[in-house]
Amino acid sequence: MKTLVRLEITRTMRNKRFMFFSVIYPAALFLLIAGPAKNTARIGGTGLTTPLYYMVAMASFGALTAVLMGNSERIAKERAKGWVRQLRLTSLPGRGYVIAKIASAATVTLPAILVVEIVAASVKGVRLDAWQWGALTLSIWAGSFVFAALGVAIGYIASGDAVRPLTMLIYFALSILGGLWMPFTIFPNWLQNIAKWLPTHAYTALGQAIEVGHAPHLTDITLLTGYLVIFTGGAAWFYRKDTRKA
Amino acid sequence: MRTGPVSAMKPSRRSLRCCVFFNRLRASAANCPGHDGGTVAGSGGFAKLYAMSATAAPRTAQKGETGTPVVRFTSVNKSFGQVRAVSELHLQLHPGETVALLGPNGAGKSTTLDLLLGLRNADSGTVEVFGSTPARAIAKGKVGAMLQSGGLMEEVKVRELVKLACDLHPRAYPPQQVMESAGVTDIADRMVNKLSGGQEQRVRFALATTGANDLIILDEPTTGMDVTVRQAFWATMREQAAADRTILFATHYLEEADAIADRVIVLHRGRILADGSAAEIKAKAGARRIVFDLEGPIDEAALRGLPSLTTLSVSGRTVRIQSIDADATTHALYGLGLYPRNLEVSGLGLEQAFIAITDAATAEEATR
Repeated sequence: MKTLVRLEITRTMRNKRFMFFSVIYPAALFLLIAGPAKNTARIGGTGLTTPLYYMVAMASFGALTAVLMGNSERIAKERAKGWVRQLRLTSLPGRGYVIAKIASAATVTLPAILVVEIVAASVKGVRLDAWQWGALTLSIWAGSFVFAALGVAIGYIASGDAVRPLTMLIYFALSILGGLWMPFTIFPNWLQNIAKWLPTHAYTALGQAIEVGHAPHLTDITLLTGYLVIFTGGAAWFYRKDTRKA
Repeated sequence: MRTGPVSAMKPSRRSLRCCVFFNRLRASAANCPGHDGGTVAGSGGFAKLYAMSATAAPRTAQKGETGTPVVRFTSVNKSFGQVRAVSELHLQLHPGETVALLGPNGAGKSTTLDLLLGLRNADSGTVEVFGSTPARAIAKGKVGAMLQSGGLMEEVKVRELVKLACDLHPRAYPPQQVMESAGVTDIADRMVNKLSGGQEQRVRFALATTGANDLIILDEPTTGMDVTVRQAFWATMREQAAADRTILFATHYLEEADAIADRVIVLHRGRILADGSAAEIKAKAGARRIVFDLEGPIDEAALRGLPSLTTLSVSGRTVRIQSIDADATTHALYGLGLYPRNLEVSGLGLEQAFIAITDAATAEEATR
């Protein structure tokens, strides 16, 4: 299993184009959205400045994009090519496959998160305590594992032409409703009540709590852990039970 | 676990070697100019060997049956929509057997192998591998498989992929050894997605032989291989067979089934049409056709007594015989003191036998 994890990471690193765009993309979006805003302008309801808010939002969004899009499409492709069939003829347990995929996704997200933070600090003058930087990076990175597992599961639910539309649908719903693009508070109440149960909402809430100087809320951590277990378990189950010929 | 006593394995291995030896002998006999002359000793000895091999396979199977079967299909059914891919399949493989799975496209070969490997689930019936589920047998590292539909991991080197497969196998060989025996050492540093079809097939072969598998499943393994590689491939497989491994392979190349397998299963529309040694399959269809003319009165009873004869038809002066051993039959024909004219022996291979059997089944289904 360790070899598979290592090989998946090596493979991702070799894919320079994918690495480059995945790493640059969230930082570029951050500059696009938060760039024109004043460094001290506040976003209603959150108590955060625009750069602070979008630093977390874009780091999270970038991580989400890389892992969700990357995993689901690659896995659907691997299934179509028959690699997964071959792999299933080994003693590799289902979770081994999912863990390897999460690990390969994680190699992309860490540099992407760091680049957003560096850009935010140097261009938009974002200042935080050392523990906040550390905790922020770690929580956004660890949170991305949840969506990497979701990506694996989607790669199994859909195949061929259906993968991209399904991924897009989930991706936009999660991003918008989770408050990655615009503050969550602009939604009507009923929508907020639904959206607060989404993994993306808990995901950004982790980072925002750290930014205002708190420890992340236990409910958010519990919610994300719950989603991680469900997505990983589901993906592993699909891996083992996949009897369709993609 | 293989629970059969060691003594039960030995005869099967011996008979397998005998079979391999026999096939070589047959090949060399066919090329031997002396044999064409039809010397009495050579021809007679050959006929005896042939007859022996025809009875050797069922005996092997009986010996093997005393142990736990390697694979057991019991009333297995599998449909895809309206199409019945596998229908009431009963099948047992015994330790040490080399079995060829023959059948036209859509006969259910790949589905059978998928069911055996747990890549698909049967609609009804049970599939057992080493007395447990396919998944469990695979997890224990007892099964190695080379699938037609099995893809390779891309963007990695051949060496890395083989190393991965070795690390995942509970009873793996060293990667270097695996690469050498599969003949991929020269392409070890190539990227998997840059390989030619034949090279990919060699890598698949390497993945199927990373460890000490007791059962090796091969789905049309030599497709895309050139002649040299193909020969090397079967040489390696013979080694595996000699080490008492059970091998099941699906193939389109009937000469491979003929030369390699000690048991041939003909599958047609999800059913087993024939199951026996290659010689028996040929015998079932009448493997060779002998046609000749005779002068004067024809003694049909005497002709019917010719050895290895399966069918006889006489029309006018022309006699048509199907025989599982044309050498023995023609030899005995001369022995009757007859002088056949315009003698023609057409070599009905396993291919014709196979076509004859599947055509007969199709015709039978059509009349129903």
